[in-house]
Formats: sequence, structure tokens, C-alpha cells
Amino acid sequence: MKDFTIHAASYLGPEGFGNDQTGLRNWLPPLKEDLARGELDGLHWSLLSDSDPSRFLRMDLMCRLGFLAAELLAVNFDALPDARRDKLGVCVESFTGSLDADIRFAQTPRPSIFAYTLPSTVIGEICIRHRLKGPVLSLISPNPDGENLLTEAAEWLRDGDAEMVLCLGIEAMNRSTANSISLPENLSPRGWHGAALLLGRSGNSPREKPLASGALSEVCRNLCLAPERAC
Amino acid sequence: MNKTGIAIAGCGAVTATGLGMELLQRAVAANASALQRRELIIGQASQSVVAGFVSDAIVGQLRTADAAHADSRAFLFATAALQEAVCQTENILNSVLATRRGLVLSTTKANIEALDKLVRQQSVSAIAQRQIQPAFLAADLAVAFDCRGPVECVSAACISGLSALQQGAALIRRGLADLVFVAGVDLISQFVLSGFNSLKSLDPDGCRPFDKSRIGLSLGEGAAAIILVKRELLSSPAILLSGSGTSNDANHLTGPSRDGSGLALAIRRALAKAKIAPDQIDYVHAHGTGTPYNDAMESLALRSIFGDRVPPFSSSKGIFGHTLGAAGVLETALCVAAMQNNLLPGTPRLRERDLVAPTSLLAEPRAATKLNHVLKINCGFGGTNAAQVLERELP
Repeated sequence: MKDFTIHAASYLGPEGFGNDQTGLRNWLPPLKEDLARGELDGLHWSLLSDSDPSRFLRMDLMCRLGFLAAELLAVNFDALPDARRDKLGVCVESFTGSLDADIRFAQTPRPSIFAYTLPSTVIGEICIRHRLKGPVLSLISPNPDGENLLTEAAEWLRDGDAEMVLCLGIEAMNRSTANSISLPENLSPRGWHGAALLLGRSGNSPREKPLASGALSEVCRNLCLAPERAC
Repeated sequence: MNKTGIAIAGCGAVTATGLGMELLQRAVAANASALQRRELIIGQASQSVVAGFVSDAIVGQLRTADAAHADSRAFLFATAALQEAVCQTENILNSVLATRRGLVLSTTKANIEALDKLVRQQSVSAIAQRQIQPAFLAADLAVAFDCRGPVECVSAACISGLSALQQGAALIRRGLADLVFVAGVDLISQFVLSGFNSLKSLDPDGCRPFDKSRIGLSLGEGAAAIILVKRELLSSPAILLSGSGTSNDANHLTGPSRDGSGLALAIRRALAKAKIAPDQIDYVHAHGTGTPYNDAMESLALRSIFGDRVPPFSSSKGIFGHTLGAAGVLETALCVAAMQNNLLPGTPRLRERDLVAPTSLLAEPRAATKLNHVLKINCGFGGTNAAQVLERELP
């Protein structure tokens, strides 16, 4: 299945954040405590991005995780020509999906939450930010292991549907949301993380620095996206 | 005959028109709308809603037949649609090992009614709670139909159905299954009504796709099923899933791009995959929700692909409403029926065509002289677009 190259990888979760270049960095207090509650706010954004956080702060937790994982890749998508962004696909796989936003909307129906009650909304957020128009796929899986996403991405690349594919694995649930409802055990949140891999056809990296493959397994450990297996 | 590819072996549906494809086809032939007005509580207030409800009589009938799933309408609807599709493919099904049968579920909110009840601390069965999770609903459907091959669940807003068909085809193409059940299901619930109501997307008098005076959509509920098989398993000429494509508008979360370029991109991808030129498309089944922006955007996308020669096209949401995650599967099943019967569906509830819509919009059903390639399109929240080409094999 060595049909593609991994250009970049990123991860953020309770144990830290980083990409293949940086390795995992620890969150500092009070960010670490926020994260333990499943909260991801403007402070986390400002640590990772110089841009305006207003859009980020409107998002639900799933989108914030996916959005930040994409930022963490340290790829300047905006510098890519339109033709390449038209061929940049985005796909996401999750177990929890949008359940956090679903519960909050069921409790307090507000239009600002409704848009986030779809697990595919994170794709829209990332595509809007970087003007990406490639193919899309959003899967909900009982045991997300990235296999389906990576297979699909490899086919998009092989068939020429995409030049690059951003694959996201996201699990998210705010602790207070989970505690606000009597959820059955089998719907309990499974972890808390956002991970991103940018795949492409060989020799076509959008990055100046090549992938630091040594750090990849560290960054992507515990993830549904396991690059070693995919390659 | 070149017997390769992915063929459609059977279809089933449960909609506001009733239980089964036959009732749906009758509504199509009569250009009749099954939208109904009901007084419902949305949030704290009573409101009059026009939508495509599955009748209480059908729900009662399905509950009687499967008491264990009585409070999971999502499961009941999906199994009824799958059962109908299975009946059409019994001989093929029996020749395929259970381990070579896959299932792909398409839904936006699965059994969301159970979450509404949980939040209100109302009683709800463990099965209904479990099926809030789309992947568990998919797994339970797979067990019910003795499907022991790969099981997937697509949740990608209103392109979920076409995306699920594409995933089902991919499972066969990758050699992971010989037969795949593709089911789409969604419900009209407090949750969904509140959401679309809060976005002011609903037409209080019922949707009028591509109409000059359209002001919004009508929700619909139900399920549809399509059974995909390796072409080799069918002996007679079949309808094939041909090229497909998806794209993102990169424009707005809850509204389509104004210029239709994102949808046009998905259509171009599908045509390129199908290896056909635009002028080979004989009919387009539009997304056609009835919202001012969607229908205008689709009209522009069709013009950008077909120029002044847009093929006949129509929207069926005036019949059964917008069934969200089920829409792509249901409307593809409707296209299959159109190809089998050589009858192009009309656009029920249309009064006066919006001038932005191409003149080839079909107000009424029409007999088709040639229906070899059909294009199905859907668009959704998050700027997603999908296109699927269906091809009729010639004898």
C-alpha cells in the first residue's frame, strides 16, 4: 500500500501537542487543566496560531481539535496555487463524532450550535479556512483505526482525484457535557485527541522541511491514524 | 457484454408516500406531493409544520412486526427498506457468503429521537439509546441481515447517501465484498426540526423547488436501501454505478457557494470518472431543496457544465421532503426506477419556474426516449457536494 508519501503529521491531546518536526510538547498550566476538562479555548489557539481566534471560538470541540491539528501540521496551505488546493482532499474518521454538540443542542437549541451537530462540519471549517475544494469523506466507526481513511486517500491519490489528502482522526467530548446527561456506557467518550496526516504523491511536498519521520511514531502514538502501518 | 463494474440489484424505500418503491413510483407518476401539515411542539411552542412524515399507520405496522425495536424508528425504517431490496435480490443474496456481504449506512443523526428523550429524562430502551450512535445502528442492521463482511457508516450531511453509495462500490472494487447493502435513514425529530427552524430554513407552506416564490425546504423522513453487487453476479442488463465525485465549496458552513463552482467541480469529477461527455447525460436528478440559495446555486452549476443544453432535470423533494442522510440513497433509487420505467420525474409543487433555473426543468413527469446516463447530485452543510453517474447497460 505504499502508494503515497506522508508529508506531515500532527497531534494534540491530553499528553501534549506537536508535529513530526517538533515532537510532543507538554501543555503548561492552566492549559493542561482546561484540557483535562475537555476544554480547548483561545489560549490554546494563541499558543499555536497568530491569526484571529474569533472563528475558532465559535466552533464546537470536535472542530476546534481538527482545526488545530491542521494548523499544527505547519503547512502553509494558503501559499499553494488554487489548482493544487482544488485537488486537496479532506477526510475525517471518528467514533464520538459530533455527540458533544448534539447533546448541547438537544439541551439548548441554538442555531450557532446546530451547524456543529454534524461530524463533517470540521471538514467544512478547514476547507473554508484554506480554500480547499478537493474530495471529502466523513466516517463514523465503532473502532476508528484510520484504515478506511488511508485506503480511501490512497485511492484518491492513485486515481488523480487528489494531489494531497488531509486525514483527520478526532475524538472529543467535554467533561461537563458528558456529565450533564445519563449516557449509556457504550456511548461514553473514547479518549480526547485530534490528529492529522497530510498525504501526497511522492516528491510533491508543500513543506520546505521534509518529514521528520523519526518523530512520527511518537507524535502519532495512541492515534487512530497510524502511519507506520499505512506505509 | 462487458460484465464488470458495480451493479444495482435491488432497491427499497419507506417514505411519506408509504411503504415500498411501488407507492413512491405511483406518486412520481402522478406528480403528487405526500407532504402533510402537522401541529408540532418545537422547543416550547406549538408550530404548524409541513413535512414528509412517515404515516403513523406504517410506524404502527413496523412496531408490531418488531417489538424489540419499537422505539427506534431509525432501525425500523432502515430494516423495512432493506427488506424490500432483499426481496428483489433473494437468489443473488443466497449465492453470496455472509462474510462477503458488506453494509454501508448513510445517516446524519441516526436514532436521534432517543437523545431527545434522554435529555428530557424520558424513558427510552437500551437498544434505542445504543442506536443514537450511527456506527452501532449500522452494526445492528448488519446483524439483522446476516452481513458479516465490512460495515461502514458515512455521516457527511446531505451528501451522506451518495458518499455511502461510493463507499459501498469501493468495498466491492477493493475485493472486500461481493454484495453491499447501502441504507440511508433519517428522522423528523424535535432535534432536527429545532435546528432547521432556528436557521429559518423551512417553508411554512411546504417546499417549492426551483419555483420563483420558493422560500425554504420541507423536511422528510424515512429510509431507502440499494443493494450493490459485482456486475458478474447479474445475468441480465443492469444499471451500473458509474463515475462519482465529491468536492467542498470552501465558502460557508450552512449555505452553498453563490456561483455553483463547488458543485460543478464534483460533477466534472464524476463525468471524468464515468469517461463520458456532458452531452451524454440524459437526465439530472437535482438536489432541489427549495431554499432560494440552493436552487439558484444548482442552476448555475448545471449551466456551467452543460451550457445552453442542460438536460431535463427535476427535484423530487416536493414529494417526500428533504430526507437528509437518506436523500442520496432514496433519490438514486428513484433514478433507478426512472431508468427502468423510462419515465422522467417531474417537480411536484412547482407553480412558476424561477427564471434562474434552466428551461429544461421538468414540471411534470415525462416519458423518456433515451435514458442511458443519469446524473444524481446532492449538496450539504459544510459546503459538501457530491455527484453520481448511473449508466444503463444496453442489451
